[in-house]
Amino acid sequence: MSTLQLENLSYKYEKASANVLSGVSLNFESGKIYAIVGKSGSGKTTLLSLLSGLAKPTAGKILYDGKDISKIDKYEYRSKYVGVIFQSFNLLPQLTATENVVLSMNIAGMKDKNKTQIAHDLLGKVDIEPEEFDRRVLKLSGGQQQRVAIARALSYNPQIILADEPTGNLDGETQDEIMKIFRRLADEGKCVIIVTHSPDVAKAADVKFELRKGKK
Amino acid sequence: MYIIKNALRSISRAKGRNILIGIIALAIAVSACVALSIRESAQKAREDTLSLMNITAQISVDRSSMMKGDKGNFDPSSGQRPSFDSMKEMLQGSSELTLDEYEIYAKAQSVKSTYYSLSATLDATGDLEPIDTKGTFDKGNRGDSATSDESSRPQMPGGFGGGNFDFKGMMGAQGDFTVVGYSSDEAMTDFISGNKAIVDGVVFDQNTTENNCIISDELATYNNLEVGSEITLANPNNTDETFSFKIVGIYTINATENSNFMGGFSTATDSANQILTSYEALKAICDTSSESAEEVTDENSGLTTSTAVQGSLNYTYVFAKVEDYEAFADEAKALGLDDKYTVSSSDVKEFEDSLVPLENLSTTAGWFLLIVFIIGAVILIVINMFNIRERKYEIGVLTAIGMKKWKVATQFVTELFVITLAAIIIGAGIGAAVSVPVTNTLLEAQIESNQEAQNDREQGFGRNPMGDFGGMTGKPGMPGMPGGDFNMEDLPEDKGGFDGFMQDASNYLSKVSYSTDLVVIAELIGVGLLLTLISSLASVMFIMRYEPLKILSNRD
Repeated sequence: MSTLQLENLSYKYEKASANVLSGVSLNFESGKIYAIVGKSGSGKTTLLSLLSGLAKPTAGKILYDGKDISKIDKYEYRSKYVGVIFQSFNLLPQLTATENVVLSMNIAGMKDKNKTQIAHDLLGKVDIEPEEFDRRVLKLSGGQQQRVAIARALSYNPQIILADEPTGNLDGETQDEIMKIFRRLADEGKCVIIVTHSPDVAKAADVKFELRKGKK
Repeated sequence: MYIIKNALRSISRAKGRNILIGIIALAIAVSACVALSIRESAQKAREDTLSLMNITAQISVDRSSMMKGDKGNFDPSSGQRPSFDSMKEMLQGSSELTLDEYEIYAKAQSVKSTYYSLSATLDATGDLEPIDTKGTFDKGNRGDSATSDESSRPQMPGGFGGGNFDFKGMMGAQGDFTVVGYSSDEAMTDFISGNKAIVDGVVFDQNTTENNCIISDELATYNNLEVGSEITLANPNNTDETFSFKIVGIYTINATENSNFMGGFSTATDSANQILTSYEALKAICDTSSESAEEVTDENSGLTTSTAVQGSLNYTYVFAKVEDYEAFADEAKALGLDDKYTVSSSDVKEFEDSLVPLENLSTTAGWFLLIVFIIGAVILIVINMFNIRERKYEIGVLTAIGMKKWKVATQFVTELFVITLAAIIIGAGIGAAVSVPVTNTLLEAQIESNQEAQNDREQGFGRNPMGDFGGMTGKPGMPGMPGGDFNMEDLPEDKGGFDGFMQDASNYLSKVSYSTDLVVIAELIGVGLLLTLISSLASVMFIMRYEPLKILSNRD
């Protein structure tokens, strides 16, 4: 059974405007990396916003484990079931790498007492050096911030990882390292959905979906 | 729980912003603390003083209502005035209560205790002379002469209504000395308050009929008397009737009490000429005198007077609290007190009057608090709105990763509350330190302002304010005795002039010693909470309106 299923999904920003997405139907399964590609304005980021529960479809539905996500509390869905890695990271700059990760765990309602240790383990897993753990993310490089964003998305162990242009701001070497992390997550049974422009990333994915003017 | 931790961390991270909010909150807290302390001081001053005060009351004839009652018996449409004769008859019939009657009402539940005193005037005999600053005492016409001569009585220059006035009336002639007989220590209020104090010998035993007395140090010096000396006083209506007193103590008068001043037309009204003894002793004198007294009817006035020494009973009921005093009137009525008598207390009125400046200050403080509160709330709302706009991105991220909006709002409100609370704690400390001196300084200004207003009012009516009454140089110890060139003829003949003179000098409560207490702290926290809630309301509304996708997309 699909982890995430899109059924005839449509979306438009305003009532009078044209559809950004029209009748998109897709299935995403665990243990695979999906690449959603398409030209600018094809609706890739909009699709990711819908998958992450940040936007509401104007028609159709998104099923998570068979349940319509519009019936699930959107905050609970975002904090527990999907981990989102934003294009511009969206970390809290005044917090350290560890604090950003721990905050996500808190929001997800995790009761573990050793959240800091879990955060450190996760940061280590995405190749952040221990001396960077307690540094404010503002002082970290783009690649490091992207890794912290990945660690944050993984912190509450969601089944689905959504990534918006995760390698867009990174050099080729770092891009490879990030893709290795995603591969590892897919191997661990996660469903990784990446929105990307990069042909290399698309190539590294198991399944590629191309959006053309809002249609699959 | 993590919300509070986040809030605390957030406070420590954005020091500059929070210090600014803190300073504003601190200014509000200090101002609010002082204002609340003033209000609390006023309230406490009232409660504490009332709880410590022994409230006293007297039963007296209610002439005003009696006159109204009499008027009620005639028909105004007849165009005639009410009958003076019937009114006079009624008023003369309204005798003061006797001791036994007073004692009936003393059984009222509200009464804590009672005391009473009897006062009468007696004449000097032999070499004994009263202190006389008015020249009303004429030794040649006193004491040793066999009969009382009306023409020798002090004549009042000017007098009421312009004619000569003598003190002889229903009570008989006015003597040179006022002799006061007290029932107990409690009755000797001047000694309790410290206005008078024994400087030699001891006070008389109140339970004896022996004619032991105490006299003022001035009278003792004036007549070369000392403890152990004997003085002889005479009935002013019958100078053959004399009474010997043994001086057992000498007292000094420490303070000028307005109540001691009784007009100063006769030497007997001078408190230095008061001879104090026991109630029992003076009662025995009055009773003895009454037994051998004759009744004399004046041919001209038709007034019948007795030659007996006439005593005036002053019975005082003491109450533990104001509520008891307020209940007493009804209880006395239930015990049979006639409607023509009224219960009154000068203590409560004097106390209320003394609180006027503090009450005014308290009202001003209330308005000040309201203004501070409104201005503070507006400033905090504006700062908060800027704060929220500045932290829009943070709100977007937090909600995007699943933090519920109400939790974000709670975190922001908590941050503001913690800062406000810290400001309140520091503000309460500063407020506690400055509230008493600030209150007293403001109170002083308020009293001055009240006194100036009072003086201006008096001057507006052409009266001399109390402070510079012409020639009144009575020294402390001779309360109410106008000295120097005080001349009654200088006074206007109407009652107004007399009122001006008798008007109570404002004896205002001029100092408070209360500081910020738990009540003020609790009120302050209440104010802080309310300010936090009001000022965060705008930010909460902003937070609830923000959509994470919009915030984050705009940023991208």
